[in-house]
Amino acid sequence: MNEFLAPILHDIGLMARPALFNLYFAVASIPLGFLFAIFFALGKASPNRLISGFCRGYIYAFRGSPFFIQLFMFYSLALAFNLSLWKPWGIDWFVLNPLVLGPVILTLNTTAYTAEIFYGALMTVPKGEIEAARAYGMSGAQQFRSVIWPHLIRLAWPAYTNEVVFLFHATALIYFTLPVIGDQKDLMNIAGELFERDYNAVLHFSVAALYFLAISLAIFLVFGIVYRRLTRHMPGASRVRWSFSRL
Amino acid sequence: MLDFLPQWMKDGIGDDLLFWLGYFTNGKHLSWYASVQYTLAAALFGALVALLLGLGGAAARNSRFLPLRALGALYINIVRGVPDVLFFLFFPLAFEQLVEWIRAQSVCTPETLAANVGRWPPCDAANWFLGTPEYLALACVSLGIVYGAFAANVIHGAMNAVPRGQLEAARAYGFSATQVLWRFHIRQMWVYALPGLSNVWLLLVKATSLLSLLQIADIVLWADRLGSPNFTRSAGLVHPDWRWGYYLVLLVFYILITFISEKVFAAITRWASRGMATAGGAAA
Repeated sequence: MNEFLAPILHDIGLMARPALFNLYFAVASIPLGFLFAIFFALGKASPNRLISGFCRGYIYAFRGSPFFIQLFMFYSLALAFNLSLWKPWGIDWFVLNPLVLGPVILTLNTTAYTAEIFYGALMTVPKGEIEAARAYGMSGAQQFRSVIWPHLIRLAWPAYTNEVVFLFHATALIYFTLPVIGDQKDLMNIAGELFERDYNAVLHFSVAALYFLAISLAIFLVFGIVYRRLTRHMPGASRVRWSFSRL
Repeated sequence: MLDFLPQWMKDGIGDDLLFWLGYFTNGKHLSWYASVQYTLAAALFGALVALLLGLGGAAARNSRFLPLRALGALYINIVRGVPDVLFFLFFPLAFEQLVEWIRAQSVCTPETLAANVGRWPPCDAANWFLGTPEYLALACVSLGIVYGAFAANVIHGAMNAVPRGQLEAARAYGFSATQVLWRFHIRQMWVYALPGLSNVWLLLVKATSLLSLLQIADIVLWADRLGSPNFTRSAGLVHPDWRWGYYLVLLVFYILITFISEKVFAAITRWASRGMATAGGAAA
């Protein structure tokens, strides 16, 4: 083992467990955010002014403000109700746990971003197909299941892939706000901790960056495979373009 | 704070309102309002650096010289594949260490170096103290580097989106390569780049909320200080935990900035697409 690689491999070993915390936050919030986003996207497109106004406002507010501030706000909001609600009910250990509160706030955030992507896709679903479905006498739910949804998810998938990568990047912010309990540490915590030990910023931050980069690429790979499946009936090879930009 | 108001005005306002007016204009609150300057400065100068690096990155990405092209692609893809907060913390740290290391070469003696083994800076004389202005400058540059990569990606795409025919026509009229680049290619590129650049600007503005991580007393740090439970020995508990209220104000502040930015970008897009052969410019 040469002198250059040894410290890098050592750091890679040390950061494997912290990387799981970042992965946990992402994995815990992605499915819920996906589910809620469908409702918010349909809500934004709703003819009911009240529903569409609410969904529009929610999406605008969460997309228009920094996730960092959202974390601070919801954490301090949860703290403010601690003495009056959580403590007497005996659920403060659960509500104020970063492993619960983190995914909750992430879900609130990604719901808005994903809903905007789904809404954009919903607006580009070919009108003729919906009319055809209606002409066949399909109910609203049937139209959604067999015509609108397959179109929507295929149109939205490349942008959604980017959103998932960004959501994973956003997990780096969680422990700057929420308390670090026991040996719960994410990649940013361990990078900072190792830096304070030997002041080697380049090594530790680069290895942490390597983890983020590798997991981001893995997300692109997996989502790319799903995209190929989603578009397997389409003419021409289609690939998710790797573009790393939150829309 | 409000002592300068005439008595009749104080009577008209009422004691309750007067108290709150006084509270929200006390010294700490005024410091909070003043700290917006750091956020705005970081956003504006960060955006300037990002735009320059974006143009430079896109130029490198389109270069005919292979190593430069590879460098451009590497910059664009690596920086965007890493969370902004990581780079935001790493760059100032690395820069500080670089300066201290260079300084250490001249000011450290073997004795002072030996005394500081395993610690940083290499010797006390090489220590570089960073105040708010230095950190703010470093924050602007690191925001610029991160979002410059995003901007480079957008500009690279926009350069390729300019219709080839436009450039061919310009060439056919006898314009030189430089003229074609500046008067046609880059001039028309903005219309295609603006939606993407607007997105990058909004990301950058939201990233300015991270300034407090570099020990800058920005709006986030002041909101935390002002809202924390305030207990003094003489007055007892002045107020409980009000932080969420202060953060809510910040949330609204950022939403307002987003709203204003969207309006401004819409106006710029209208201006840039005048006379262009696109849906937006056709009417003009």
